[in-house]
Amino acid sequence: MSLELITDILIATVPLMLVFATLFAFTTWLERKALARIQNRIGPNKVGIPCTRISLFGLGQPAADGIKMLFKEDIVPRGADRLFHLLAPILALIPAMLVLCFLPLEFPWTKSLLPVQAFLLDGAVIFFFAITGLNTLAVFMAGWASRNKYSLLGGMRAVAQMVSYEIPLVLSAVIVVMMVGSLNAAVIADAQTGFNWFVFSPWGFAAFVIFFIAALAETNRSPFDLPEAESEIIAGYFTEYSGFKFALFFLGEYIAMFAISGLAVTLFLGGGDGPGLAAAPWLSVVWFLAKIFALIAVMIWLRGTLPRLRVDQLMGFAWKFMLPLSILNILVAGFAWHAQQQGSTTITVITWVASIAILYGTASGLNQLNRGSARPRKYKYAE
Amino acid sequence: MNEQLAFWVLAAIAVLGALVAVRKRNLIHGVFALLVFFAGLSGLFLLLLAEFIAAVQVLVYIGAVGVLLLFAIMLTERVAGDGGQRMTSRGWFWGLVMAVAVFVVLLLPAIQQLPSPEAAQPIKPSVEELGKKLMDPYVVTLEVMALLLTAALIGAVTAAQGVRMPKEEDSPE
Repeated sequence: MSLELITDILIATVPLMLVFATLFAFTTWLERKALARIQNRIGPNKVGIPCTRISLFGLGQPAADGIKMLFKEDIVPRGADRLFHLLAPILALIPAMLVLCFLPLEFPWTKSLLPVQAFLLDGAVIFFFAITGLNTLAVFMAGWASRNKYSLLGGMRAVAQMVSYEIPLVLSAVIVVMMVGSLNAAVIADAQTGFNWFVFSPWGFAAFVIFFIAALAETNRSPFDLPEAESEIIAGYFTEYSGFKFALFFLGEYIAMFAISGLAVTLFLGGGDGPGLAAAPWLSVVWFLAKIFALIAVMIWLRGTLPRLRVDQLMGFAWKFMLPLSILNILVAGFAWHAQQQGSTTITVITWVASIAILYGTASGLNQLNRGSARPRKYKYAE
Repeated sequence: MNEQLAFWVLAAIAVLGALVAVRKRNLIHGVFALLVFFAGLSGLFLLLLAEFIAAVQVLVYIGAVGVLLLFAIMLTERVAGDGGQRMTSRGWFWGLVMAVAVFVVLLLPAIQQLPSPEAAQPIKPSVEELGKKLMDPYVVTLEVMALLLTAALIGAVTAAQGVRMPKEEDSPE
């Protein structure tokens, strides 16, 4: 292999790993701090710069956590499948890291290596979904390899949940792909320049909301954190993990959060689009990361606010609410695309009003239908 | 040169994965080895510039079929494969003959043309071309297939639901 190609690949990929690993450390701190404030606590506030008394709002906490994780004893249960117990956290991290390549993040120093940028692939969006789906296998592997019934339960829950929510996730992304006519992430982001974001249209907004909810479920975030429901099944699939393997799961989960938020930003929030780009093109990375962080902040806020769903609610929501709505949304978006091709303002206004009415009506209708079928819960083993 | 190296590495991964998938007694290990094989195959497709097929290979085979296999295995007993009876290997000779015969028949068109001719015109199997083909000349085929799959899906749901017992309060799940 030529040395030039290797250096190009390294320049294209290493910044992603460094930037997102740093952001991961910062996000763990942010999440603990924000959750603490929501729950009227203070959160980590002691650890700052080592050997000094400067605490910097506890910003040193992630580093301290990392060191603790590294030195912790690694325990493998006696009945466990040792090989798979080791492989699962690695397999959880790889797809999450890999899909970062498909985000149209244009660092200033990588401008010259456009040919090796993965997001220029024609099928970048399909690749994104294909590789994100591998996460399911890692979770299942962890649950199975631990030889622990709680782990296995968590693994089964995770697989069922991820498989179900992948469908609305992909179907809501289809709308953007239809509108742009390309699966290329860079083209999709470029199509939205000048605040022409897809989230600012009725069908785009509906798709964005569906996408975001499904993304929460895909990344096992609260309120969809059933696979690791600590009040029910200890810690779900990573019950038997400690030390650095646990840290890898943690890292993989957060990187997956970044990745799926990044895809949401690419598809619906205009990618790196924002004010001041003409003067300073490097701002596009800043805007991109800022939008990712805005989505992450909403995720943290939801985690602090919403209680966890029950399994039947989770499945019912995916199959009876999100799936019909996203299929209908595709239809609406198809009509809207043809209406926009006419180029007349009247038709566009009519399309907007009609699609808002249809989508809102369907959403509330589905809500009513689902509510009617839910009976009061009967307890079998409790009074 | 790069392509040659990548091809041999991917081919080795695929062949090793397939071998382990066949030889492993532990079913879960076997399934994961099979998934490694699929991943190697997807890499080979990518090497042939067929990126859509590569992506779909990952999406369908690793993502969907793999999970389906794992689910099916989870519902069977004796996953670890230890303590079970040996798999019978009588008739392995004829099995080998059959395997070689199938392989040769599949490769016959290619073998007849050896040494392999240059491609008449370089095709561009891009996603865009594929999409245009699916939407223009093959749109009826696509729709019929979609209809068929939907029918199969509804059939599967109906079959899975079974006959509803008159007095059944809680489903067996």
